[in-house]
Amino acid sequence: MTLATPRPPRFRWGVSALAVAALTVGMSYGLVAPARAAPSAVPTSQPLVVLLHDHIARTGPSLDARVVGAVGSLRPLTRVRTVLPVLGYADRKSWVQVLLPGRPNGHTGWIRTWQTRRADTQWHIRVRLSARRVIVYRDGLVERRFHAVVGNPWTPTPRGEFFVEEAVALSSQDHGGPFALATSARSEVLQEFDGGPGQIGLHGTDNLPGALGTAASHGCVRVSTSAITWLARRIGSGVRITISR
Amino acid sequence: MAVTVALFALPAAAQAAPVHLATVSPFVVLGGSTVTNTGPSVLNGDLGVSPGTALVGFGLPAVVNGATHANDAVAAKAQSDLTTAYNVAAGQPVAPANDLTGTDLGNRTLTAGAYRYTSSAQLTGPLTLDAQGDPNAQFVFEIASQLTTASASSVVLINGASPCNVYWQVGSSATLGTTTAFQGNLMALTSISLNNGASVTGRLLARNGQVSLINNVLDASRCATGSGTGDGGPGNGTGGDGTGGRSTTHNGRATMRRAPNQDCTDGFSATVRGHLIERVVFRMDGRLVGNRKSSPFKVFVRASRAGVHRIRARVTFKDATRAKTLRFRYRACAAAVREPRRGPAQLTG
Repeated sequence: MTLATPRPPRFRWGVSALAVAALTVGMSYGLVAPARAAPSAVPTSQPLVVLLHDHIARTGPSLDARVVGAVGSLRPLTRVRTVLPVLGYADRKSWVQVLLPGRPNGHTGWIRTWQTRRADTQWHIRVRLSARRVIVYRDGLVERRFHAVVGNPWTPTPRGEFFVEEAVALSSQDHGGPFALATSARSEVLQEFDGGPGQIGLHGTDNLPGALGTAASHGCVRVSTSAITWLARRIGSGVRITISR
Repeated sequence: MAVTVALFALPAAAQAAPVHLATVSPFVVLGGSTVTNTGPSVLNGDLGVSPGTALVGFGLPAVVNGATHANDAVAAKAQSDLTTAYNVAAGQPVAPANDLTGTDLGNRTLTAGAYRYTSSAQLTGPLTLDAQGDPNAQFVFEIASQLTTASASSVVLINGASPCNVYWQVGSSATLGTTTAFQGNLMALTSISLNNGASVTGRLLARNGQVSLINNVLDASRCATGSGTGDGGPGNGTGGDGTGGRSTTHNGRATMRRAPNQDCTDGFSATVRGHLIERVVFRMDGRLVGNRKSSPFKVFVRASRAGVHRIRARVTFKDATRAKTLRFRYRACAAAVREPRRGPAQLTG
């Protein structure tokens, strides 16, 4: 069996090629826990895989490997195609390692590339909890910075490597409208919330209290209406979200 | 006495005082009551309205490559600064010879300075503004009532003239005809209306009324980073498209590449590299998506609808090398088009 990593991403801020290679290879072999990785720079491009069919995720690139879980081809809230960030390929690209949504936060798995389509994105989002900021990168460079509300100390926003599962247009009566980016992260405290699985979102502030720049949410990251509108028109499924302290 | 007269008979250029746009600079469109759009317009710059609040028609297929300010503090301050800039432009002294009232702006070549219409102004055909090699040359048009352009009219800038330094102060409303290629900062007391396919390199700034767009390309990116005269603008000193002093060599070359180079992405960067490149104009399906006058000659492209799109980069060179056009095709996946679907609010909040 051969292991192949995706083409190493180009970094802008002087990260050495050695460090990039170590990180990439390490993640492919599961040596670096993606959920806790906090890269100091942002790659210019992130390979993605679009699921055209339901898939079974396994712990390794083999049918003998243990099953991690099933991944549906459609997302539950809006029924859009599932798009997952790619961490690496194996066995002449017949297997792909991906970040998976849901619990445990940041878990990964291997799926067959059969009934998938390759794509990529130049976007990346970082959330700095201590600064209460959302920083949006495109092509490795900062595109926008937004003030945010983050989780309060009792229901903190989970940290790690996540991705956008789907973008959702909310009604004017909904909390957190007008848009939400439903992420792969789940609350470490709330197993269920408002009929959902404790899913962490990056959304607006409609019908919600709390000033930007505070830690007042149940775990979600809230930004202003103009900010979430800007994001919803640009950020699609599969875009990586790095949440750090 | 003769000496005194001679001293005051200065060139028009010397009489024009700088117009400071201040916080208006990032805006490509600023309306007073509303800003409406129909069709796949592209706005390269910020979009705002104040004291009104309505920004209508800026979802897909329209693209706003900038921030949006609906009667927030930023838009309100910009409107305040627009009033100041408008009044400064309206107060520019105008030499008697520069009173163009009753004449058409079309098929003229004007040098830097302030020009006046005591009633309405009409542009039919091309108007050429010649900076005569001065990259800071300023053109101010003081129009007491309406400005109207006929279909396919244009404002052409030569010899280093910059759209950032062209100001149109319109006492009532402005209407740009179909496919007009307009340049400069259009400041209207009331409203601004663009007909189908008109393009603007500069800004559309309405103090009290609405700005209405129909399938237009508006680009303020050249002027968005201020320098010098407040709104200033990069690109000065390159000689514009003038031919004076241009080398007779033919050493220019250019290639274009895209990243990522995959069949179906949600966007990509197109970069032109080469030697002696003066300017690169990027278009997608014929619509302007980037106009770069300095390195890096790069643009990020994302289609607003799925399917195959044609990317074209028109490259002009600093020497006598003949301009060339670089092309490739790009296929946008359906998944690349961003219009979130409705769904339940089941997040943790």
